[in-house]
Amino acid sequence: MKLIYSHLKTFLPDLNVKPQKLRDDLTMIGHFCNFYQEIENEIVFDLDIKVNRGDCLGYYGLAKDLSILYNLPLVPATELKYSTSNYSLPIKIETDNVFRIMALKIVHLKNKHSPDWLSKFLKLHGVNSINTLVDLTNYIMFMYGLPSHAFDTAKSGDNLIWQMNPKYTEFKGLDGTILPVDKNILMVNNSNIALGLSFWGGEFCAIDNSTTNIIIEIAVYNPTTVRQNHQQLKVATEAATRLEKLLDPKLIPQAINHLARLITLNCGGEIGSQVFDYYPNPETPSPINFDPKLPSIISGINIPVDFAKEIVSKIGFRKDISLPEDLAEEVIRFYGYDKIPTNQPVSPVKLPDITPPILYLVEKLKDDLVAQGYDEVISWPLVQQPTDPTTVVKTENSINSGYPYLRQSMIQSLQNQLDQYFRYKLPNPKFFEIGKIFSQVDGKYIEKYALGTYDGQKFTETILDDLPKPESYLPKNIDNSAYELTSQIITLDANVNLDSPQDPTTLINHYTSLISPDILWSIEIIDIFENKYTFRVSYYNCDDKTAKKAHLTAFGLI
Amino acid sequence: MDLNQVKTEINNCQSGTDLENIRIKYLGRTGLINQEFSKIKSASDPKQFGQQLNQLKTDVENLIFEKSKTVSSEIKNLKLEIKNSNFCLPKIGHLHPLSITERQLNEVFRKLGFSVYNSPEIVTDEYNFQRLNVPKDHPARDMQDTIYIQQPEYLLRTQTSTIEAYLLKNHQPPIRAAFPGSVYRNEKVNRSNHFVFHQYQAVVVDKNITMKDLIGTMDLMFKTLYGPEVVVRYRCKYYPEVEPGVGPDMQCFNCHGKGCPLCKYAGWIEMGGAGMIHPKVLEMANIDPRVYSGFAFGMGLDRWTMAEKYITDIRTLMGGNLAYKPNKL
Repeated sequence: MKLIYSHLKTFLPDLNVKPQKLRDDLTMIGHFCNFYQEIENEIVFDLDIKVNRGDCLGYYGLAKDLSILYNLPLVPATELKYSTSNYSLPIKIETDNVFRIMALKIVHLKNKHSPDWLSKFLKLHGVNSINTLVDLTNYIMFMYGLPSHAFDTAKSGDNLIWQMNPKYTEFKGLDGTILPVDKNILMVNNSNIALGLSFWGGEFCAIDNSTTNIIIEIAVYNPTTVRQNHQQLKVATEAATRLEKLLDPKLIPQAINHLARLITLNCGGEIGSQVFDYYPNPETPSPINFDPKLPSIISGINIPVDFAKEIVSKIGFRKDISLPEDLAEEVIRFYGYDKIPTNQPVSPVKLPDITPPILYLVEKLKDDLVAQGYDEVISWPLVQQPTDPTTVVKTENSINSGYPYLRQSMIQSLQNQLDQYFRYKLPNPKFFEIGKIFSQVDGKYIEKYALGTYDGQKFTETILDDLPKPESYLPKNIDNSAYELTSQIITLDANVNLDSPQDPTTLINHYTSLISPDILWSIEIIDIFENKYTFRVSYYNCDDKTAKKAHLTAFGLI
Repeated sequence: MDLNQVKTEINNCQSGTDLENIRIKYLGRTGLINQEFSKIKSASDPKQFGQQLNQLKTDVENLIFEKSKTVSSEIKNLKLEIKNSNFCLPKIGHLHPLSITERQLNEVFRKLGFSVYNSPEIVTDEYNFQRLNVPKDHPARDMQDTIYIQQPEYLLRTQTSTIEAYLLKNHQPPIRAAFPGSVYRNEKVNRSNHFVFHQYQAVVVDKNITMKDLIGTMDLMFKTLYGPEVVVRYRCKYYPEVEPGVGPDMQCFNCHGKGCPLCKYAGWIEMGGAGMIHPKVLEMANIDPRVYSGFAFGMGLDRWTMAEKYITDIRTLMGGNLAYKPNKL
């Protein structure tokens, strides 16, 4: 969302911080600001407002946050001097999806082009200027985060009805787009014409320069209904972005007051009705049992209790706050996340290892394959063609329609990798991948870890989950062209004392010749101290006893 | 100084070391040619003198360069011999850059008592959203575009927090686990976006876990990856599964906070998300939030790995064009 510094001062006249500091402070309290820039003599901030803070999709909500942060007074709400007209609007609300509506009729207006400040304000928010009345409703939406709307009563009449679509099959939006509507759509109609949606006005009663009498309204709806409606109709408007979030109906009086004041100021006219206020279930905020020590407990630093109490009292009721932890976050963010030290990680403890054994196998396999000259690749788990169409898992809505299937075999992925190797003319391709393969049987989805290798001549695949004892397998080269997993490796150490220093390679060769190649997996010297050599030998293809016997014999330990 | 004399010396030279000595003798900082240059002021025609010297210098440089080719090929031959003898290690392969990064992090967290964890990639709505405090029709669902297997129930996990949901359900505190994992989003594949990418997440649930533990541990992770000089700030950020939420930003390594196109003029780069596990998330996993608290943090691995290995296209990272490997790894 865009934020213009000078307009922020509407609510915070005493605000006087440098733009750079404002940018950093807004970011630190949760409203990430990428950058600010000077456009047409205005300083404009670009903010990323998170979905829980619908109230901050308006200047007022941000100003309220900043008034707490900087301890500045927020401009108090001014009371509207309503007319003495005793005409009550014949508006009907026929759905419980409306939480609150305030509406007001203004008559004898003269609509015209917007004043420069207004069209510039909207331009900086990326909205085209239409005319003063329309622009002012948009202005109020940006200022309070509450979408407002004006109906030309010469076209719509005064008998507006908020209802779930009773009979209409289509609706014509402000830009002339025709949308198919069904009974799930929340609409504003009169007795025989569809006039508007909850988040978008209709073309039929659009405001133009000849408009003289209007009904203005600001409403808060059931956010879920608005969200479902705009998703169903695939229409995204600034109003929908706000109305689908938790908005505060208690802010409506101040916003409609401000709107009416600006309209009469800029377009003349007078208030032509009593204020219509439909608010069947005013929310009474449920009390939160807040311990002022909680922010300290959660943050791990000492936050004074008085500070916590002060912040909580300043925040008051907000729609996104319902738990003590929510209030604690408020206290901590105003106290400053930057006051929490960064150099005290959790202290190491010894806990039972809950790592699934297969992950150890994966790690071990990777090491051994790399040691044997294989490169690891990671490829796309979504593929173009199924291997077995009867068990393949297919995605339903992927926008990459060329890759609809989850791979059923590692070799599918490796084949693509090999093509790449050839395309880039890389010599001696020899590679592997360990990842998931997917299938479905009787409506159940099955995923397994699989190892696929390419050794320069052919592909092989092993499904790791299907091995009887996953933790005891290691890869082994057979006849230089194929490759298989072998069971159980037995590793034994031996210390050898010699009279004088020896060439390690000669020693390795010597002891290698003393062990049968059928059972020798690897031999290495892991430590040399003076004339003492420690060997580590791994045996395979044999049981513990055979390995031990061979080991003791080779190193002369019997 | 006579060029022919230099030529003879260079031609007679037998090894790379000899050649380097000749280079230092003539072209070094206090070498013969530089000594000649110092006489330029007293020369009768300094301009011509200078030109001649420059020419001589270029000639000597060229001669040494030409000779170095033959000398170094001798060295190459020597290397080849070594390679063919018994002393040499056979060719070893390479781990994928993502695996290297994952291992670096696993190692740090194992030292702190973490297990490594994983869970299915095809999951239900319950584990991907509801158990993470994102009810149906919550606007937070818009934060991620989901690839569905069978709408609306089965989907490909969109975040490693889904693994957290499994972890909390299957284990009772104290819990410490870290999990690298691939996650899926419905995005068009191009240079910088992919439908599959990789995240790393760590979770702790125990008594008396605080934001101080979270921020300290996260900072340790960043220092492991980026070195001790890295500057990271921790700010308030919203995620439905945590309260309070934390957003780590790294000071842009390109402009050091001044603002540049790389960091979109923010001076900071968003590094992921974190926070204290939301009491509702703990409750849903039958963990009493009045007794236990916990933290969770996650970050994307792909961009970091790409930056470190000079990979500019995410499709390369997962595409099998591993041409960068021999040079960079």
